[in-house]
Amino acid sequence: MKQLLTFTAIIFLGMIPISSVSAQTPTDHLMMPKGTLCNFLGYSTSRWDNYWEGANKRINENIGTFKTENILFMAALGVTDKLNVMVGLPYVKTSSSASYLAGQQGIQDFSVWLKYNLIEKKGDFGTIKAFVTVGGSLPATNYNTDFLPFSIGLKAKTASGRLILSYANKGFYATVQGGATLRSNVEIDRNSFIFNNKLYESNIMPVPNAADGSLTLGFANTRFQTAVSLDRFGCLSGDDIRYNDMPILTNKMEQTSVNWFGRVNLGHLSVIVNAGKVLNGRNVGEATSLGGSVLYWVQIFNKAKKADK
Amino acid sequence: MPFDTEGGILKSKKLLKMKKISVLYIQFFVLVLVSTLINACQKTAETTELEAYLPTNLDETGGSWKPFLVTSGTDITVASPTATTSAEYQAELAAVKTAANGATAEQKAAIKYWSAGAVIRWNEIARDLAAQYNIPPKNNPDGTYPAPDANNPLAYPRFPFANPPYASRAFALLSVAQYDALIATWKYKMQYKRSAPYKVDATLTPSVPKSELPSYPSEDAVVAAASRELLKLLFPGEAPLLESKATEHKNSRIWAGANVQSDIDAGEALGKAVAAKVIAYAKADNMSKANAQADVPKLRDDATKRGITTQWTSRDLPARPPMLPFFGNVKTWNFDSATKVAIRPTAPPAVGSADFNKALDELRAIAKNRSREQFRIASFWADGPGTYTPPGHWNRFATELIYKYKYSEIRAARTLALMNTAVEDAGVVCWDVKYYYLLPRPTEADPSVTTSTGIPNFPAFTSGHSTFSAAGATVLSYIFPNESAALNAYAKEASESRIYGCIHYRFDCEIGLTHGKKVGDYAVNRGKADGSGL
Repeated sequence: MKQLLTFTAIIFLGMIPISSVSAQTPTDHLMMPKGTLCNFLGYSTSRWDNYWEGANKRINENIGTFKTENILFMAALGVTDKLNVMVGLPYVKTSSSASYLAGQQGIQDFSVWLKYNLIEKKGDFGTIKAFVTVGGSLPATNYNTDFLPFSIGLKAKTASGRLILSYANKGFYATVQGGATLRSNVEIDRNSFIFNNKLYESNIMPVPNAADGSLTLGFANTRFQTAVSLDRFGCLSGDDIRYNDMPILTNKMEQTSVNWFGRVNLGHLSVIVNAGKVLNGRNVGEATSLGGSVLYWVQIFNKAKKADK
Repeated sequence: MPFDTEGGILKSKKLLKMKKISVLYIQFFVLVLVSTLINACQKTAETTELEAYLPTNLDETGGSWKPFLVTSGTDITVASPTATTSAEYQAELAAVKTAANGATAEQKAAIKYWSAGAVIRWNEIARDLAAQYNIPPKNNPDGTYPAPDANNPLAYPRFPFANPPYASRAFALLSVAQYDALIATWKYKMQYKRSAPYKVDATLTPSVPKSELPSYPSEDAVVAAASRELLKLLFPGEAPLLESKATEHKNSRIWAGANVQSDIDAGEALGKAVAAKVIAYAKADNMSKANAQADVPKLRDDATKRGITTQWTSRDLPARPPMLPFFGNVKTWNFDSATKVAIRPTAPPAVGSADFNKALDELRAIAKNRSREQFRIASFWADGPGTYTPPGHWNRFATELIYKYKYSEIRAARTLALMNTAVEDAGVVCWDVKYYYLLPRPTEADPSVTTSTGIPNFPAFTSGHSTFSAAGATVLSYIFPNESAALNAYAKEASESRIYGCIHYRFDCEIGLTHGKKVGDYAVNRGKADGSGL
């Protein structure tokens, strides 16, 4: 039986804004059947006290506990059984317990992805699937970006591609996937900045491109699903946060995290909870995250065929 | 094989096909990833290209202009050069021709870089250093803060902490050294009138525009030597970098076919001699006492005696010692200390007074609902840690105008010396006011006033940005009258940016602008009386 699209909500929080996250979301091994529309609304929050300044972990009394909250709306449609289209739009809010700097909030980047099921092979050995996802994102609002860690996003336009391979047998499954994200340079409000220990008198900041990968192990049946994943995100270039300075968009952000989610299906409705922790990183916060979300699916076309099944 | 049980052969063939396809896809994907990686690693920031220009005016009378510290253009002696007909000169000329003909790609890049202007490039180098060194030290585990040590500049925290007052003084000393040295240079150029090598030998085609200026001593070598010496004093940890920049600068003139070695050597000696006089001034200008933290309790007591009981405290955690509390005692360039006291603004509205609360209310409203445009303006002018500071921002405007109007080296140096002495004077008088009235920052008065930029670690009244900017705009408006409207608008926006950022009350900014304008006027008057006729 075909499963609904699952939003694993693997979200990089803290100093890695959601733009990198959005490209992460269509990462599972399942497809929406033709004619099915799935709406997703999720809330998640993350906190960190420690962060990595370059490779050095530190605390900063002037920040205290840094908190990011986001509300993510997504929708996915089965155009065909093999092709899904997805859109996402997050609202993000940042704050810190000790800083006098103004927390930021607002609608971040609009994302769209196409997901195609390249290969599906079922047999006694189980099911093998391969998917390719391509997508992109654009800032949905003119938010303040050169204000990390408080900025709600990097404001870069992105294009991403990923390959997902999965194996499932008797409800158990394993997914491995890797992706790359090209990120545009970003126009900032000031017209000079230090990058790689050199002063640039320009208002165009180079935002490094990024790659990510993850390994997921899970179990799913018609009522219930749970999975754990080990996730790695890394910029492909960039510099470190200068000693005792603020992070900026040029920084080479990297992190390894573990994430878990559980899901219960109640007819057309699913309830999901997720949690994650950053294990190590570079130029990011040591974030712990928690989230909850609901998704609701409806058959909007291809109803007859669906009924036949 | 587990899947052989059901029509095994057919299935394996299918699987084989699938495998091939997936291998192809994976290969494609890896290819995309690899090319992405290669592109990603090359991701760089943009830089502005500058071209060499011939100045619109050679300023032949420059040798008679009035210097700041050197008594006159003849204060330093430059020996008479060898005649261009001499065997010695001819040997130098031959060496220049060989060097110019054999210039490598790297040497050509150096020629192009330095040909944009000696004063312009050294000012850029100073801006870069100011930005790199503008970072407050991190606290020790016990909550105290380490202080940079000039005698051990590369140990953490590196010396200097190039905060705005430090940077204002650095730019002023650099510009005065360049200007005074160039006055002497022009004097001797016109006195000796030794032609440039490409004038002596028409077969030599220089790779920079052919100037009509006599070439002895070389203005490039003068600026390189004077700048190197001053920047070594101001950024002592950067001596190797500065030596290599100056050497490359001087050599670039030989590689370009624009100077012979004796032009360069005379320039080096002249630049260094003037630099020594400026360094002597710098060592006695009271900067060494500007960070006397032990004297802060007395400073606070004195303010209490004057009735100032609610006094500024640091917003940093842990509380950071105030930034350069005695910078207000540093020697001013364009007026004396009695004038400094005479033009000191009267007291700001007392904390809790109706006028004070009105100003605070404006900030409460902004903090609650700061617009995107207000944030942008606050960010554009913030010039905080990791930047060249407001004085650096005004130096950038000045060098952009110098380039736009194709100023000669000496007129470029005069522009920067007048502006930077005014900007340092602005810093001095502003710091004097800040530690005289010790007014708390808005966020200290009301923690709900959150800011969109860091709160500087010194009292609010008056705004440093406003004072620096009004002084800079006033001097540049005198020098570039066509740009006056834009420059004054910049100063006003820089000033208001501090209100939008919620780190200053409106009265800090408005009174700072007025104060800075007065400071700028002293530099303008100096310029009008310096014999340049400009």
